[in-house]
Amino acid sequence: MSLTAVTRLELRRLWVRPLAWGLAALTIAWLAWTFTLSLGTFLAIQVKLAASPDAGGFTDYVSIPLLAALVGMSLLVVPLLTMSTLAGERRAGTLPLLVSTGIAPWKLVTGKYLAVLAWLMLWLLVTLAMPLVLAASSTPDWGKLAAATLGTALTLATVAAIGMACSAATSYPAIAAALTLVITLALWAVDRGAQMAGASGGFLQWLSLDTHLHNLQRGLVVSSDLIWFALAIALSLVLATRRLSADRERH
Amino acid sequence: MTGAALLNITAVSRRRAGRQAVANLTFSLNRGEVLGLLGVNGAGKSTTLSMLAGALAPDSGSILLDGRDFMTRPELARTLIGWLPEAAPLWHELTVHEHLVAFSTLRGSSRKDARTAADTIIARLQLGDLRHRLAGVLSHGQRQRLGLACALVHSPALIILDEPANALDPVQVGELRKLIREKAAAGCGVILSTHVLSEVTAVCDRAVILHEGQLRHDAPLRHDADGHALETTFFSIATGAAAA
Repeated sequence: MSLTAVTRLELRRLWVRPLAWGLAALTIAWLAWTFTLSLGTFLAIQVKLAASPDAGGFTDYVSIPLLAALVGMSLLVVPLLTMSTLAGERRAGTLPLLVSTGIAPWKLVTGKYLAVLAWLMLWLLVTLAMPLVLAASSTPDWGKLAAATLGTALTLATVAAIGMACSAATSYPAIAAALTLVITLALWAVDRGAQMAGASGGFLQWLSLDTHLHNLQRGLVVSSDLIWFALAIALSLVLATRRLSADRERH
Repeated sequence: MTGAALLNITAVSRRRAGRQAVANLTFSLNRGEVLGLLGVNGAGKSTTLSMLAGALAPDSGSILLDGRDFMTRPELARTLIGWLPEAAPLWHELTVHEHLVAFSTLRGSSRKDARTAADTIIARLQLGDLRHRLAGVLSHGQRQRLGLACALVHSPALIILDEPANALDPVQVGELRKLIREKAAAGCGVILSTHVLSEVTAVCDRAVILHEGQLRHDAPLRHDADGHALETTFFSIATGAAAA
């Protein structure tokens, strides 16, 4: 019950906050523009593509690049969305008030996380609606689209969880946003750095977010990738909860 | 008229920002009693209230709330405690009514019960005109009244008020005193922290004075209606200790 109350409160606050609406409007407009350009390109080359049996189709040239663009944007949007969830509460003095309601820290963290996740899934659905509108007049690869959508959803959920952990760690929302961005970019590019240094494969490749997302974007659903996302989300939320619990001891 | 013990604090200590904010604090509060918590700035009042509200954990000592160990069961705060912190922190983007429904549901009420509780407290604190107004545009006094409403919306047994009369006009201060006495008559325990001695003598049954984190005075006020004895004690503690 209290978990639902926290989620509902956070959703309500997101709903009336201009930042969430502004971000949604700007990013959807940009994604719609990207979609239109991709569609134009696809229409121009589809006759050539039809001649080659191995060439990709609508899903490869329009849908998946659109989802990839959404993931790219999420690296900037999600930190802005999560930065105030706990850091803002702490700064405004409302966090001790929330803690004093006797709600367990894990419920506060999870409740707020679920609210952010709901907003992000809505964002994903609106984006996904663009290629789906054309599904009747095209031949989407449903399996590949489902896997890519799953990968995008898991990436959004992971970045949001990292954002929660960073927001729990500080009293300054701007620092929380910057921390989230740095950690996410580091996770994204960790194996590229290793490749440039001459090392490939191994732990750094496994650690990279891109490795696991890339498989799903190619239509490969591998359990080790799903476990990586689950671990990253769980670890981030546990860290956020531990930091929130420590507030009662520290301040 | 006071009843059985609602709160028992025994040897509670807490360090904060590298210094001993509260040291070996022991006192109790009965049902139906209004306790005034006095002290100069930095005396340890807000730290004490934060520990009693469950927002801060003591380093040592014990807090029994309604006979149960509050330190191992902070969830007791959910239904038993209502807290108005100093400066009444609120969510600027939510309306008065949304605040009250949110606090009530966070404290475990269903949505339907929360709406009823919100309507009741809005009527009691005369917040009807502000019902749909955003907290961010309220005046300081209105924010204080909303903070008080949030602390009372779930009908707690222990009410903790940190400077509740801040920014209230004289009429509202009178209403606040009436409300506090009303809650005490209904069997609630009230802890009122303030700098204003007249506030304590007007509504409290007992006064506790903290100085440098330690309890220096704990006595009933029934033979001190004009507050002279309390004032003398307070200044002797504050200035005496400062001189020392």
